[in-house]
Amino acid sequence: MFTFIDTLLIGLTSGAVYSLMAIALVLVWRSTRVVNFAQAGQALLSTYIGYECMGRFHSFWIALALAMILGAGVSALIEMLFMRTLFKRNTGPIAGVAPIIATLGLLGIIRGGIGIFMGGKETIIRPPLSNVGFTISGHTFALSPFKLVILSAVLIMMILLSLIFTKTNIGLALRASAYAPEIARLAGVKVDAIRTLGWAIAGAAGAAAGMLQTPNGTGALSPDSLEFSLLLVFGFIAAVIGGLESLVGAVIGGLLLGLVLAIVLMYVNATLLFMTAFVLLIVVLLVRPQGIMGKKAGRRA
Amino acid sequence: MHKLIHSNIGRLLFFGALGCLLFLAGNRVDELRVYQGATLAMFVVAISSIILLTGYSGQVSLGHGALLAIGGYSAVLARNYWSLPIWLCFAVAVLATAAAGSVLGTAAARLSGPYLAGTTLALAVGLPSIANQFSFLGGEQGLLFDVGAPPASLGADFSPYKWYFWIASSAALIALWWLQNILRSRYGRTWRAVRGNEVAAELAGIHVGKAKTLAFTLSAGLAGLAGALLAMTIGTVSPSAFPLTLSFSLLTGAVLSGVTTLPGVMIGAVTLVATPEIANAISHRLGDSGAVTSNLPGLLVSALLILVVMLVPNGPVEQLRSIRTRRSVSTSR
Repeated sequence: MFTFIDTLLIGLTSGAVYSLMAIALVLVWRSTRVVNFAQAGQALLSTYIGYECMGRFHSFWIALALAMILGAGVSALIEMLFMRTLFKRNTGPIAGVAPIIATLGLLGIIRGGIGIFMGGKETIIRPPLSNVGFTISGHTFALSPFKLVILSAVLIMMILLSLIFTKTNIGLALRASAYAPEIARLAGVKVDAIRTLGWAIAGAAGAAAGMLQTPNGTGALSPDSLEFSLLLVFGFIAAVIGGLESLVGAVIGGLLLGLVLAIVLMYVNATLLFMTAFVLLIVVLLVRPQGIMGKKAGRRA
Repeated sequence: MHKLIHSNIGRLLFFGALGCLLFLAGNRVDELRVYQGATLAMFVVAISSIILLTGYSGQVSLGHGALLAIGGYSAVLARNYWSLPIWLCFAVAVLATAAAGSVLGTAAARLSGPYLAGTTLALAVGLPSIANQFSFLGGEQGLLFDVGAPPASLGADFSPYKWYFWIASSAALIALWWLQNILRSRYGRTWRAVRGNEVAAELAGIHVGKAKTLAFTLSAGLAGLAGALLAMTIGTVSPSAFPLTLSFSLLTGAVLSGVTTLPGVMIGAVTLVATPEIANAISHRLGDSGAVTSNLPGLLVSALLILVVMLVPNGPVEQLRSIRTRRSVSTSR
């Protein structure tokens, strides 16, 4: 019984990090209709920035804040430098595929660049709080203070973003330029700037995911580490399961994925981890091709 | 004459001539180049498989590495367990992967853009790990693939690499000739219609789901052939032979070739073969540090990918073609 509870707790926390990553992907998808494969690369870069900041300021929390701010900056820069030109120039038959390919290229560049400049060094980020579980009546549960931080970070992020999207003018502009860019532009929304803002928020969310994922795993940071492959693949699967359109969907997708994977990890074995994710994705998409929270696409033509 | 060039027989003659040229070239260059020639032929098949899927039917696949894995493993299993002749192993690889592709394609036809990309990505990371689960697939070490010595009639000094090159390039020629024909048939037109506008295609009486599934199946068959060729050139199949980076670099190759133009396929294949060599030369200049050597090839390919997508999104061949059309339009005015 305790094992099962522990499995669920581990699943929830790892799922929470995937949710953060999925939130980042959903934000980018909603603002520019691009699936950003470079998101994991950006998260990696932000985590390295956070690592450097930790060396300077000796505080995980300052480093986390700085990594999120700078991650947002990097993300905005990518949108302005690459995506805008791409959208302006691209009208050919592969217009739908080109952004995916461009972000894959960015992922490779970020990974390779970090590998060349930081690859040889040993970089470790330790959790700022104890990652040893609470002990209640003799049993040590898999819920540590640090895991609580992760869970609350996701919760705060989701509430904050939901408030921004539903209660503020900026949120209204974000939604408007996602659904109907032309009409939004006519209504006086600066669509380009708003899109950049969407990317920036996504960059911050991705940075938070990277900064929380590394110490929650082995703590070792490297461009080829398993943690970042997990972020890349599972963040994306979580977003797709959730329906790519909705923040709530991203969180549900992430948590569901985390739970299922933790159960497989505990009761079956680790080699089937990625295959399980694939099967879960297929099952969800065959039942609902538009994802759990996605809306059925309206006729466009 | 013009009619002959654009007919089936004309194309057959063209590919036959190309084959003779390759045969002559194979006798003139050294072993390493011959081996790279075999790899090149493998990439040609794999990239043309992506061109068929993405360029013609408009479906994105980030998981072609997984299809290659299916092809590679089924060829090896057919060879090791039934000891079939080598050409039959390749046929088994094509059929098995096409069958898997038709199952996947049925699911894929329901999914649009990013959802399909996600599914194929998950497949690419998930499928190769299955080999660790079942002992007859050889686990992490994988299985050996022995295509056998070249026939004695070819002479005693006929090296195994040259034999690989022969097999791979004739497979590539047959695959390209077949693909060229099918892209010019009604199926090719159907796929282009679907890619252009699904609703319009449906109104014109095209069954969009069937067209997409067929494209996925055929593309998977080609990928299976490429997988068997890959297994042949490296001599083994193992999960680490089909990493996620393989899927990504195949997509890169397709983009460099111009996703919508089959004739450009050589550009992508040559780039994929040449990049590691160029990267090696550069990192040798820089003093052979481990970090540079292992990361430079990926960095170069990615940089090239970005440049192509930003500057010539439809590939160099299509770009040239559109410049030529523009010029001829302006002169005719």
